[in-house]
Amino acid sequence: MSERIFGAMLLLLSIAGVYIGWDLKAPVSYEPVGPNTFPVLVFSLLALCAVGLMVTQRSPTQWPPAHVLRRILGMFLVILAYAWLFDRLGFVLSTFLMTIPLARAFGSTWMQAVAGALGMSLSFYFIFDRLLDVALPAGRWLKPLLG
Amino acid sequence: MLKKSLSALVLAIACGSALAAPNKPECIAPAKPGGGFDLTCKLAQAGLQDGKYIDSPLRITYMPGGIGAVAYNTIIAQRPDEAGTIVAFSGGSLLNLAIGKFGRYNVDDVKWLAAIGADYGAVTVRADSPYKTLKDLITTLKADPTKVVMGAGGSVGSQDWMKSALVAKAAGVNYKNMRYVAFEGGGEALTALLGGHVQAYFGDASEVGEYLKAGKVRVLAVFSDTRLPGGLANVPTAKEQGYDVEWPIIRGFYLGPKVNDADYNWWAGTFDKMMATPEFAKQREAQGLFPFALTGAKLDAFVKERVKRYGELAAEFGLVVVK
Amino acid sequence: MEVINHLLNGFVVAGSPINLEMALIGAFLGTIVGMLPGLGPINGVAILLPIAYAMKIPAESSLILLTAVYAGCEFGGRISAILINVPGDAGAVMTTLDGYPMARKGLAGPALSISALASFCGSVIATLGIVAFAPILSKWALAFGPAEYFVLMVLALSCLGGLVGDSMLKALIACLLGLMFSCVGIDSNSGVYRYTFDLIHLSDGIPFIVVVIGVFAVSELMLMLQNLHAGAKAVPVSGRIMFNLQELALTKWTILRSSVVGFFIGVLPGAGASIASAMTYSMERRIAGSDHCFGEGDPRGVAAPEAANNASAYGSLIPMLTLGVPGSGTTAVLIGALTLYNITPGPMLFQEHPVMVWSLIASMFIASVMLLVMNIPLIKFFVKFLSIPNWLLVPGIAAVSLIGVYAIHGTSFDLVLGTLLGGLGYGLRVMNFPMAPFILGFVLGDMMEQNLRRALSISNGEIAILFASPISIGLWVAALAMLVGPRLFKALSKPSGAEPGAKAPG
Repeated sequence: MSERIFGAMLLLLSIAGVYIGWDLKAPVSYEPVGPNTFPVLVFSLLALCAVGLMVTQRSPTQWPPAHVLRRILGMFLVILAYAWLFDRLGFVLSTFLMTIPLARAFGSTWMQAVAGALGMSLSFYFIFDRLLDVALPAGRWLKPLLG
Repeated sequence: MLKKSLSALVLAIACGSALAAPNKPECIAPAKPGGGFDLTCKLAQAGLQDGKYIDSPLRITYMPGGIGAVAYNTIIAQRPDEAGTIVAFSGGSLLNLAIGKFGRYNVDDVKWLAAIGADYGAVTVRADSPYKTLKDLITTLKADPTKVVMGAGGSVGSQDWMKSALVAKAAGVNYKNMRYVAFEGGGEALTALLGGHVQAYFGDASEVGEYLKAGKVRVLAVFSDTRLPGGLANVPTAKEQGYDVEWPIIRGFYLGPKVNDADYNWWAGTFDKMMATPEFAKQREAQGLFPFALTGAKLDAFVKERVKRYGELAAEFGLVVVK
Repeated sequence: MEVINHLLNGFVVAGSPINLEMALIGAFLGTIVGMLPGLGPINGVAILLPIAYAMKIPAESSLILLTAVYAGCEFGGRISAILINVPGDAGAVMTTLDGYPMARKGLAGPALSISALASFCGSVIATLGIVAFAPILSKWALAFGPAEYFVLMVLALSCLGGLVGDSMLKALIACLLGLMFSCVGIDSNSGVYRYTFDLIHLSDGIPFIVVVIGVFAVSELMLMLQNLHAGAKAVPVSGRIMFNLQELALTKWTILRSSVVGFFIGVLPGAGASIASAMTYSMERRIAGSDHCFGEGDPRGVAAPEAANNASAYGSLIPMLTLGVPGSGTTAVLIGALTLYNITPGPMLFQEHPVMVWSLIASMFIASVMLLVMNIPLIKFFVKFLSIPNWLLVPGIAAVSLIGVYAIHGTSFDLVLGTLLGGLGYGLRVMNFPMAPFILGFVLGDMMEQNLRRALSISNGEIAILFASPISIGLWVAALAMLVGPRLFKALSKPSGAEPGAKAPG
């Protein structure tokens, strides 16, 4: 079933892709083959495959049970928020906030989670930003303090 | 450490940050490591560090995308008041800015700080090519524009394309009839020229100097006002050969729009001092850049004039100006 | 023999205490940086360059340091690929396919040691290749025009047949999705922005590292949580560190073949470690016929990409040293390093700076030996990673992965995009879509399309250009051999008994 749904999504995606790709034209072109040929070809093939996925019979995908899926989704959202807040909050704070729920999801105690979060966010900041000179966002609020 | 930082902070507030170098200066290279922007930042880094204008070394960070479009938008929208952050730009950024590929911002949205060097367009052919002068090439183009396959490091609408279109125009050839093949970057285009896959390369003077020295290529013309110094001194300008094509590519830096005037002036003054030293001239030369020093209001005027000119050219060549 | 003299002089310079020290530091730091997901050789070299410059160490030493870092990264990338299924750098993507299953079987030690050996062989063969053939090979790099690049990509895709998992259709969809993502961004021939939806962040396309981090690292973390609830046990660790003779016998031809192929691909500017490892992996899988357990922990599946990515990393130094053209992202940074020292790499480098070039080559030998010697005993230490509790490991991987992306794409857009791709990757992996064709499609798609169109522009639409040079004809033959060869080979070798290793073309 999930394959069928995914196939339908792919089909919609490829229709959109062909629709957008069709009009891709260069204002000035020197080429026998333009910029739209390849994408249109790829999306058309993808559409064919998507139909194939919808009509053929295959063993169903084993999805994890709903409560596990919810936790996985939760974790995905945590990482997404982390990515979004990475340079807004700064590395140290965002990493601290990300580590606690992730550590908890993998079975740590609250104590371990907080200690791990604190240790990791600070030590990574020091190792990467200071020792390896990979510039990390300090976060607007922390910048003057860290000098 | 915290105590020290705090006292530094207090000190900085007390003195007013303008008198001293900004804390933790940073140079954003709007490309992946290794490209021209990276080198522009490295030039500033070496110059500022060797001249001891700043206490902590200039940090280089990378923000690739759209020849500077991503950095331009990020600085204006998210980091407009960072006095310590300079961002590298090039002629290519200005061109993209002019044709509307920088999103919703325009040339007035940042503070143009300094230009630290320039490069110039050049027409290059392989050493064994039948074309000895720009005139030879243009005569052939006139007779049959499809006979010469021109290679370039950028797509239609890029600087390399503009250069070839300008030459075509000077030759009285419709630029839409020429044969133009875009490669990914100057390196690939040059390799294709050396391998004989294309017949002429519309690149930059700094890229071809070493190949000229090694006798692998012939440079037919440089697109500068006067002849270039060094190894290219024997190469005539396009103007000398009767074709009015000039294509300078300046390299420099801008600051965020909300950086205060005191900080802006500190940077501009520092660049003025740095660029006057012979050490800097040597470092600039090592990167193949030719002298071109402008700061402050003069640069601002220059940049705006260039962007306007690019916009006109783009319209003339029928490039769709987005928005 | 001038070359031998030069090389001996090179060894004298490279063997000086300071340079040996540089090679050692570089090799060690490189291994660490390469191991961290997201951080690859580009970061390693870009990080150390300003430090080396600020310390005012001489040009040779600094270049030796940076090259050792480069080699070290290619060594280090395999470690996290094998242990936690997250490639440490782009060249190690293929190593996950069999390295991780080997680790799951408790064979992390042998996987790490056989891949260290493969990396070593790749480096040494490539260095020998540079010594013997650098000038000739620069001609080979030049002879590769757009038409030849296109046929090379065809050859790479013809190996794809070897990567099909349980369903041809799913592999095809995965590959098409990869091709689809490769279409995003500015079209380098016409300058048209494709599928960027007016987002300037997409104007250069989706960076490879963002895809790798998303599809491998983020989705891996989600799978780890799923497995935790499915009651997966911790990975058993067998005490064995070294590969045994049987594994060595199985992989020796794989290593040799992959090193040579990887080297030649590395020499071509534009094709890099990721293409070399993808190609050799699928080639080996194709050559192995039915007698293999690729995808479930075949040592050959670890040896091939590792030999190839080291060989191609060194191979990419050839265009830099002989032509002054960067053969990869990392060599572009190395060229920048030389410019800082007032050395402009170009066709005259060998003549103008022979001492530097030859000491660099000598130090490549030295660094390779150091890396092998360093890596084998360190395996014991690396395997300990497996005993880090998940609650610490998972946020650690998340943080390091995002740091890696942020280091060369300093905006949160790329981080968010990577995470979203991770969600997609998770879905695809649960539904049993193979990831190898996806990555292959993504890596090859752009090069294939652009070079085909370039070739046709050069020939003004004549298809004949694709068959015009001996190189392209050779590549077409190889592609054909890849498609029908394995079947033919199997049919031929059946009567003569089982001796597959000796028969394989060397």
